[in-house]
Amino acid sequence: MNGQSAAAGAAGGFLETRAGRALASNWAAFFLIAMFVIFSMTSGSFLSIANFQNVIHLQTLPFLLAAAETFVIITGGIDLSVGFVTGLASVCAARLIQLLLASGMPGAQAVSLSVAAVLVLSLLPGLVNGLVITKFKVPPFIATMGMWGIANGLALKVSNGFPMTGLPDRLPEIGNGYLLYVMPGQFVSFFAKPEGFANSRIRELIRLLPYSLPFILLVLAVLAFVLRRTRFGRHTYAIGGNVDAAIRSGISIDRHLILVYVLSSFLSGMGGIFNVFQTGIGNYTTFNAQYEFFAIAAVVIGGASLAGGKGRIWSSAVGVLVLAFLENGLAISGVQPFYRYIAVGVLLVVAVVIDKIFPDLR
Amino acid sequence: MLPSFSFAGSIPAIRRSAVDRAKENRVARLGMVLASRRDPALVPDIIVQGSMYMKKTIVAVLVVLMIAALAVPTFAQPKIKVLFMPGVTDPFYYTMEKGIKAAAAKAGVDLAVAEYPKAWGPENQVPILQAMVAKEKYDLLLIAPTSADALKAPLKAIYDQGTEIITVDTFIGDGDYSKASDYSFPLSYIGSDNQLGGKQMAEQLAKLVGEKGKVYCQATNPDASSVQDRVKGFTAGVAEFPNMMLVGVEWCLDVQQKAQEQTLTALQINKDIVGIFGLNVFSAQGATQAVVNAGLSGAVKMCLWDATLSNIDNLKKGNADLVLAQKPGEMGSLAIEWGVKYLKDKKNVKVPKKVIPGFEFFTRQNVSDANMQQYIYQ
Repeated sequence: MNGQSAAAGAAGGFLETRAGRALASNWAAFFLIAMFVIFSMTSGSFLSIANFQNVIHLQTLPFLLAAAETFVIITGGIDLSVGFVTGLASVCAARLIQLLLASGMPGAQAVSLSVAAVLVLSLLPGLVNGLVITKFKVPPFIATMGMWGIANGLALKVSNGFPMTGLPDRLPEIGNGYLLYVMPGQFVSFFAKPEGFANSRIRELIRLLPYSLPFILLVLAVLAFVLRRTRFGRHTYAIGGNVDAAIRSGISIDRHLILVYVLSSFLSGMGGIFNVFQTGIGNYTTFNAQYEFFAIAAVVIGGASLAGGKGRIWSSAVGVLVLAFLENGLAISGVQPFYRYIAVGVLLVVAVVIDKIFPDLR
Repeated sequence: MLPSFSFAGSIPAIRRSAVDRAKENRVARLGMVLASRRDPALVPDIIVQGSMYMKKTIVAVLVVLMIAALAVPTFAQPKIKVLFMPGVTDPFYYTMEKGIKAAAAKAGVDLAVAEYPKAWGPENQVPILQAMVAKEKYDLLLIAPTSADALKAPLKAIYDQGTEIITVDTFIGDGDYSKASDYSFPLSYIGSDNQLGGKQMAEQLAKLVGEKGKVYCQATNPDASSVQDRVKGFTAGVAEFPNMMLVGVEWCLDVQQKAQEQTLTALQINKDIVGIFGLNVFSAQGATQAVVNAGLSGAVKMCLWDATLSNIDNLKKGNADLVLAQKPGEMGSLAIEWGVKYLKDKKNVKVPKKVIPGFEFFTRQNVSDANMQQYIYQ
């Protein structure tokens, strides 16, 4: 405690200034910008549209999981099951598509039906988590860890333990497609490369705006709106800030918490479906993926507190980008893989230390 | 069955000893008691009626026949009992099981297959193994140990109870059972030489890219010996070509998205990469998807490890150029053949401590050949 207050005291003078406050409360965003500057200098190929689009496109799933985790963490809870619910949704979607295609249904119909069914199905893990947490007073860490195992087991059962292939080739084409294909001075093509343009020449094309970008921006915007501007969002903060006050003000805590966990598993399910589009196969989540931990890390780097009451969707998205660009920038600058693990670890600890030193920011 | 009947018929006089007669009587008495419990009114009838006495005799004869039938196999060659303990739920081990089953049927041994662990690791495998050997004693255990260290003690305990062990696909210790050590008790290790495989991949990739240019290795878990061996072999293989350069090794930890991300980053750093080695199913899929996304299919030659359906699919679609198939089926059948040979003549048969079945390579030219289909894992 002494160390903390001493550090806060030392930083106190600077913090009084408006610039200081802005810097401290948005340190992750500033850190991100600083990384851009540094990595642009250390490597010639970091600062390019292709690289930025690649990184952001591949972070679609982490964005979704971090958004899910943001709601849960603001209530003071945690959801460890998001990663394996993602895998479960992915293999369920793949299995359904396989079955419907085998029954003779046209591809587009089979895919949309499966997507809809899996989105509905993905409400279930959250419902169970929410009920166990509220009705039986099981700590969220344990309840969602139970679901962590259940979802993983079910996913392995559905997939028989190996990636599920044989899905339409259109899926990864859509999942990895771009809105704009530009050949400087020659043509601009929307949604697909021009007919007859050889695959081997795709590198000459400038491809802009992966489909995943408007998709994730829309989802994050809706979630940010819900969190900041609706009663649902205000109640979420209220429960995390002070449960007793929330109860006195008449919020139905149980009902609200159940909804938050349902939202969390719904977003995870959405991530699993996106995964099918991105990879073209149904894939269970491996233990090594640790999606849940990186989602939690992103939320914490974004400035949320694990104690609850604090957090923002866009800040969590910045947290995701910090982790992604740190990894990408270090790799492009030629840093060996094992050192990068260390860098990510250090960054996470720094984030929590900053949260402890300046507990009142945001 | 025939020999057992003739056996029972040829020496009934010897076998119907006093003991047997006592057994008969006991069985007959038991029949009476049971019958009387069912219906008390029957009790006097059973004692006096001749037809019931006939039944007793028939029951007794049947019992003797059954005992004789059960006893025969122990007099003749006992059937060798084999247990197969796979490493994880995986097409590779399913293919191995097929090879084991076929060889077991041919050799006339009893085969039990343990439940497939849902995930890789001793914490999943050892409990299944221990439950199996607690139920029954086996003469031969074929196992893919999921840890080079953690399986040493459980396997030693099974070995000490008189079960011979062959490790398939993976091994305990460093896999060298020829020198004395605390893990040298297994009969043999039958599996791939991963280092050799990595080297052969480098040679094949060199052929595809004209022995020059930058190549990249998409690896997976740095803590697995098989993975390290493949990387070692590949690195050494590439080094033999003076105009080729290995520009990076990345570890995706079995996460396909990560592999995709890392390959795209590698292609960003070195825009002139001409070949990629995808080192297991997840690395291969992620790397292939990255190359497709970058629009480099065909321009970057892809060599993928393991003939899973997804890798074969990518080869057929033109997204990959070469797929290495290990021979899990052959590993299985070789394990049965050597194990059975040894058990039948322990004194004279010397089992090699290491048996390496080699690899097959799928290319777009041979991928549809009838004789290659057996090497696809499914």
